[in-house]
Amino acid sequence: MKKYDVIINFKGPITLAIIDDILHKLKWYLHTHVEDDKLIRKRVYSLAVECLDNIFKHSDLKDAENKLVQEYPPRFIVEFFNDTFIIHTGNIILNENVHIVIQRLSKLNKLADEDINQLYKDTLSNAEISEKGGAGLGLIVMAKTTREKINFDFEKINHKFSYFAMQLNLKTN
Amino acid sequence: MNILNIAATKKSPRVLFEPSKKLFEIKGNSRPENVRDFYYPIIESLRSYFDTLADEQKLIAESEDDPFKFNFKLDYFNSSSAKFISDILVIVKDFYEKGIQFKVYWYFEDGDDDMKEVGEDFSDMISFPFNYIMVQR
Repeated sequence: MKKYDVIINFKGPITLAIIDDILHKLKWYLHTHVEDDKLIRKRVYSLAVECLDNIFKHSDLKDAENKLVQEYPPRFIVEFFNDTFIIHTGNIILNENVHIVIQRLSKLNKLADEDINQLYKDTLSNAEISEKGGAGLGLIVMAKTTREKINFDFEKINHKFSYFAMQLNLKTN
Repeated sequence: MNILNIAATKKSPRVLFEPSKKLFEIKGNSRPENVRDFYYPIIESLRSYFDTLADEQKLIAESEDDPFKFNFKLDYFNSSSAKFISDILVIVKDFYEKGIQFKVYWYFEDGDDDMKEVGEDFSDMISFPFNYIMVQR
């Protein structure tokens, strides 16, 4: 395995077909480069599914023809650097939703591993599936899987929208 | 008798429910495009079957020596599928409490500690013991 590699570098609107295509490429890479570590392969794959699902379900501006989407396209990047898989995501969200995301991520970043596990179990017992088809478990699964703080940032685009950028780190040793 | 027999696709698992064999089995990968459309009918079928059964005391007595077998042979599932898998397990717990006997078998591949761990989380969550079966690939 190379010490540094860009595995997926996608920028543009995310559709279900694009998700399938990205996951197919990622799976192939993992099978050929991380043959002997099933756990890591499945963790990277699982993180990718949750991230892509989040971008697909929670982007608040999706129209590919929209100028803002062209200027601030969704992104999904997976790279390997210094024994760590790094996943970057980005998508547009409504300014009014920014504080909810900050609240949820800040809370997760403060929790110890065992508290994240407990939160996962509690959320599983009480979750209702939303109209968007989410169970509110995606971010918790990311924190549970990486056991690392989730990096995130927002860039204000205008009075209505912001760009939400997130970075996950999954250490392989 | 209602039987579920759903073929696997790349994104959804094979699901089988054969009451005559007292067998429910879910196998493969689960990240269906519409998770609700996929799992609601499964959950409704199971609940309605066991609802009827719970009213027939004779069958409950029979199940004591011959429990229903619930096999979970999942390779991968996403977070929204996890919610529905937990709903299926809640059915097991609910009807166990009404006197129907179950055995839950949770399969995981050798080296896939995360899959075993998530089984332990589910078992913990419903306070019902699982049998863990490690398989070699």
